[in-house]
Amino acid sequence: MKAIIFDIQRSSFVDGPGIRTTVFFKGCNLRCKWCHNPESQIIKPQIMFYKSKCISCGKCREACPNNMEKCDMCGKCTYACPNGARRICGREYTISEVLKEILKDKAFYETSGGGVTFSGGECMLQIDFLEEILKKCKENKVHTAVDTAGCIPWEYFLKIMPYTNLFLYDVKCFSDKLHILGTNYSNKLILENLKKLSDEFLGDIIIRIPVIGGFNDDTAEIRKICGFIKSLRIKNTEILPYHKMGEYKYEALGMKALKYKVPDPKEIKRLKEVFCNIQQGE
Amino acid sequence: MTERIKKLSDMTVKGEMYIEHTETKYDRKDIFLPPVIMSAKRSKEYILNQKPYVSEYTALTGYLRFNGDVMGDIFNRNGHRNYKMLMDNFYNKPVDGLCTFEWQHSVADFEKVIKIGIKGFKAEIEVSRVNHTDKEKKDFLDALDIIADAIIGWAEKCSAAARIKSLEVACPEYKANLIKLSDALCKVPANPAESFYEAVLTLYLIYAFVPDSIGTIDRYLYSFYKKDIENGVLTKEEAKSYLQELFLMLQARVSIKSDRFYRGGESHFCIGGYLENGEDGFNELSRLILDSLLELPTWIPQISLRWTKKTPEDVLKYVMDCERKDPNKRIAFVNDEPRIKAFMEIGGFPYELACKYTMVGCNEPQLPGGIFMGGCYANIAKSIENTLYNCGDEICEAENFEDFYKIFERELYSTIKLCTDYYNKFQSVRARDINLVSTMFFEGSIKRAESITRGGAENAVADLSFIGIITVVDSLSVIKQFVYVEKKISMKTLLEALRANWNGYEILHSDILKNGRFFGNDDEISNYCAYRFACSVSEYFKDKRTDMGYKFMIGNLIGYNQHHKWFGDYVRATPDGRLNGEMISYGIGQNNGKDREGLTALLSSVAKLNSHVIFCGETVTNVFIDEQLVKNDKNFEKLVKLFETYFKLGGLHYQLNYVSKEDLRNAQTTPEKYRNLRVRVSGFSDYFIFLNEDLQNEIISRTEKSI
Repeated sequence: MKAIIFDIQRSSFVDGPGIRTTVFFKGCNLRCKWCHNPESQIIKPQIMFYKSKCISCGKCREACPNNMEKCDMCGKCTYACPNGARRICGREYTISEVLKEILKDKAFYETSGGGVTFSGGECMLQIDFLEEILKKCKENKVHTAVDTAGCIPWEYFLKIMPYTNLFLYDVKCFSDKLHILGTNYSNKLILENLKKLSDEFLGDIIIRIPVIGGFNDDTAEIRKICGFIKSLRIKNTEILPYHKMGEYKYEALGMKALKYKVPDPKEIKRLKEVFCNIQQGE
Repeated sequence: MTERIKKLSDMTVKGEMYIEHTETKYDRKDIFLPPVIMSAKRSKEYILNQKPYVSEYTALTGYLRFNGDVMGDIFNRNGHRNYKMLMDNFYNKPVDGLCTFEWQHSVADFEKVIKIGIKGFKAEIEVSRVNHTDKEKKDFLDALDIIADAIIGWAEKCSAAARIKSLEVACPEYKANLIKLSDALCKVPANPAESFYEAVLTLYLIYAFVPDSIGTIDRYLYSFYKKDIENGVLTKEEAKSYLQELFLMLQARVSIKSDRFYRGGESHFCIGGYLENGEDGFNELSRLILDSLLELPTWIPQISLRWTKKTPEDVLKYVMDCERKDPNKRIAFVNDEPRIKAFMEIGGFPYELACKYTMVGCNEPQLPGGIFMGGCYANIAKSIENTLYNCGDEICEAENFEDFYKIFERELYSTIKLCTDYYNKFQSVRARDINLVSTMFFEGSIKRAESITRGGAENAVADLSFIGIITVVDSLSVIKQFVYVEKKISMKTLLEALRANWNGYEILHSDILKNGRFFGNDDEISNYCAYRFACSVSEYFKDKRTDMGYKFMIGNLIGYNQHHKWFGDYVRATPDGRLNGEMISYGIGQNNGKDREGLTALLSSVAKLNSHVIFCGETVTNVFIDEQLVKNDKNFEKLVKLFETYFKLGGLHYQLNYVSKEDLRNAQTTPEKYRNLRVRVSGFSDYFIFLNEDLQNEIISRTEKSI
C-alpha cells in the first residue's frame, strides 16, 4: 500500500501537543483561496520551478528524456539543475517507509508528550493508507493526531477513530455561502461531521480557525463559529492568522496567488478575546 | 543586590578593579642558587611585594597577578619562556598544514585547600621530602615550600591591608567587614576553613595562584553553607554577597583593555551533577550560585549545568529559562553520564573522583586538582584527503565500502600518528618550563616532586582536538551512498571530479550537495559512517598514552580562532562537495545548512556519534534557535523537552543562540544599533559586532532552526 506524500517534517512544535513529526499527504478536495500549501492540492507529484533561482543554463533540457515537451516526473531535470531551481514535490511512500521516519523521534515524543500528526492536503482522502499507518503507530505506542478539513464521508472518520488520539479540525467559516466562496465547497458536511465527532469520538478535538483578512475576520463571523462550537465537546480552539509565506510556492507551481490581507495582530488579539468571552458564556 | 555589591559591580564593569602588578627588584646573586630555588625565592619576593586590593566595599581580598619576571601561574603562564616560544611559533600557525599548538586549562583542588590549609600542603611537602633522595627533586620540594610560605605571607599582608583600611572607613557595616576579613586572613588559607565565609575567602585568595576554573563550588562549599545557615551565623543574603564578590573578582582580574574582558568562556565552572552517592547534586546553593551570578552585569565566569538522569525536570527548565533571559550568555549544559563514563573508561579514574569533574575554559572537562593537557589541534580532514589523493589506484580497486574503509582507516591512523607526534613534541618543549606557583594545587605533584608541566599531575588527561570531523564523516557518507549503495558514479569518476576541483562535474557536484546523506539528518548512511569513524578513533587510542603517560580524549572544539579556515587552506576538494581550500567543518553540529531535517534529527545524529565516549575532550555543540520560537512559553517548554531527550539519548553538550537572521544582518550594516547583541562562538560568547566579518558571515549562514 502506498500514499503520495509531499513532506515529512520532524521537530514540529506547532501541530499538536509536544514535539511531533508531521506527515503531509498530497491531495485536497477543497480549494481554499488563501491556501499556504498550494503544492498539496493536486494528488499527483508536481515539478516546482523557482524562477528566481534559474540561471538559464539549459542543463534541465539536456537532462530531460522528452526534451521538456512532456513530463513523466522522472526527476532528471531536478538533479541536473545546478542551482536548485527545480524540485519534485510529492512521491509515493510505503507504510514501512513512513513508519520508519515516524519512529526515529520516538524518544522525543515520549519525553515531551508528542507524537505524529497526519496533515496535508487532506490526509483522509488517502483513507486506507491513513488507517493502516495509524494502526501501526498505535501498535508502536505513538500518540496520533489527524489534521483534517472534515469534508469527508463520515464513514472515513469511523474507520480511523479507534487509532486516533486527537483531531485537529479546521473550521473556516460558519456561513455556507462564504464557505463556498472561499473554498468552492459547502461546509454542511464539515459542520455535520464535527458535530458527530464531538458526540462519538472519545479522544480530543482541537478546532483550528484560519483568520483571513477580508474574508472571515469580522466579529460577526467569528461569533457564529463560536456559537456553533460552544455546544460541542472541544478541548481547545486555536486561531491561526493568515500569512503570506506560501506565496512564492504559487509562482513555482505556475499558479496565481490570490492576495489576502494579513490580519493586524491587534485585530487577532481582539478576536481571541471575543472568542474567550463567548466560550465563557458571555 | 546589596549597595556594597552594586558599588563593586560598577567598578568592575568600568575596569576599575583591575590590579596592575608592582615591579620587584631581585638580588643578582640569586643566580648562584640552584635554578628552582632561585625561581622560588624570586617568586616569593614578587608575591610579597604586590599590593592587595582593598576598598571600603571589600569583604574578600587576595588577588594578585604575575608579570613575566618570575614563572607565574599555570594559566596565564607569564614567565614560562618555553611556552611562549611554542606560542610564537605554533599558536594559530599550522605546521605541515596539520597541527597547531594551543592553550591548556586546569582547575586546582580547592576543596583540599579549604580542608587542610596551606599548612597541610607544607606537611605533605615534608613527607615527600623523606621519600625523595634525588637532589633535583629535593630542591623542587624546597621550592614548593618557599611558595607555600609566600602564600601564607601574602595572606598576612592582605590581612594588614584590610586592618589599615578599616581604620579609615566610617560606615559601621563596611568597617566590620574589613575587620572580619583581616581576622579571617590570620587563619586562612594557612589553616583549614571552618565557615562558609572562610571557605570562600580561601578560594578567592588561592585563585590568584591557579586563576582558571573555580570547580564544582556548589558541592565543596555546600557543607559550610548548610552548617552556617542552620546555626544562624550566615544569612542567604550574606552568602549571596560573598559569591557575587568572588564572581566579580573573576571578571575584574581581566584588563578592560583586553578583548577577553567582554568574552565569556573563561573561569568556567559547574553546578549540579552526580554526587559520590549517585544522587543528583543540584541543591539550594546551586540555585543561589546561579541567581547570584545572573544578577551581575558581567560576562565572566561562565557556568554549566551538569545534567543527570536524576536532574528534576523543573531544574532543567529553570536553568534554561535563566539562560534564555541572560543577555550575557553565561550558561551552557553538559550531560554527566558520557562525561563520567569517559573519565572512568578512558582515563581509568574511579567513580568517586570522576563524578567531581568540572567544565573549564571554553568547554574542557577536568577533574579537581587536574590539568587538561591540551595544546594541540589537528586537521583530521587530512586523513580523507590522503586516502583520496595518495591511494587512488588502491581505492579504485575496492569492491565495496568495507574494503574502501580499511584503506581509509589505515590513512586515518597514519594521520593521527603524525598529530600525536606533534602533540608530544609540543609537550616536551613545554616541559622545559618548571611551574612552581600553581603546581602544589594539582594532585600528585608533591608526591611525585614534579612540575605539572612535566607530568606532575595525576588527575590529568590529554586532549587532541580534531578539526574537520564532519568533513570526514560527510565525505565517507557521500562515498558510501554514491559509489557503493546507489552506484551513481564510480570511484574513478569521483576522484577525477575531486582532482578537477569539480570543474566540469557541476551536475555531480549539485547532485551531491542536494541529495547527499550528510551528517545531522539522522539517516542510516551518515550515522553509520559517523559511528565507524568513532569506532576507529576509539580503537586507535585504546592503548595509547602521551609520552607523559596520559590517556587521550578527543575534542572537536574550535575556540575563538578559525582553525577550520586555516586548515581548510591545506585540504583539496573533498567528496562532501567542498572545494579546494574551502574551510573544513568544526564542532559537532550544524554544518553549513547541510542538516535539513530539523532539530530532532540533528540532535539524534550528534547524540549517536559519541557512543564510545572517545569524543569527550573539549567539545561543543552550538545550536541556533529562532528567537520567535521561545517567546511563547508553551513552545519554550517543548524546547526544554527537546534537549532533555537529547541528553537522554547520550548527547554531550549544548549551548544556545536565540537569534533571527534579520538581527544578525542588521547588526552587520548598523553595528551601532546592535552593541548588545551577543552570540556564542564555540565555547566563547561575545558581542556579535566585535567578531570579524568572516566569522559574522559564518554565523549568519549556519542553519537557523526554525520550528
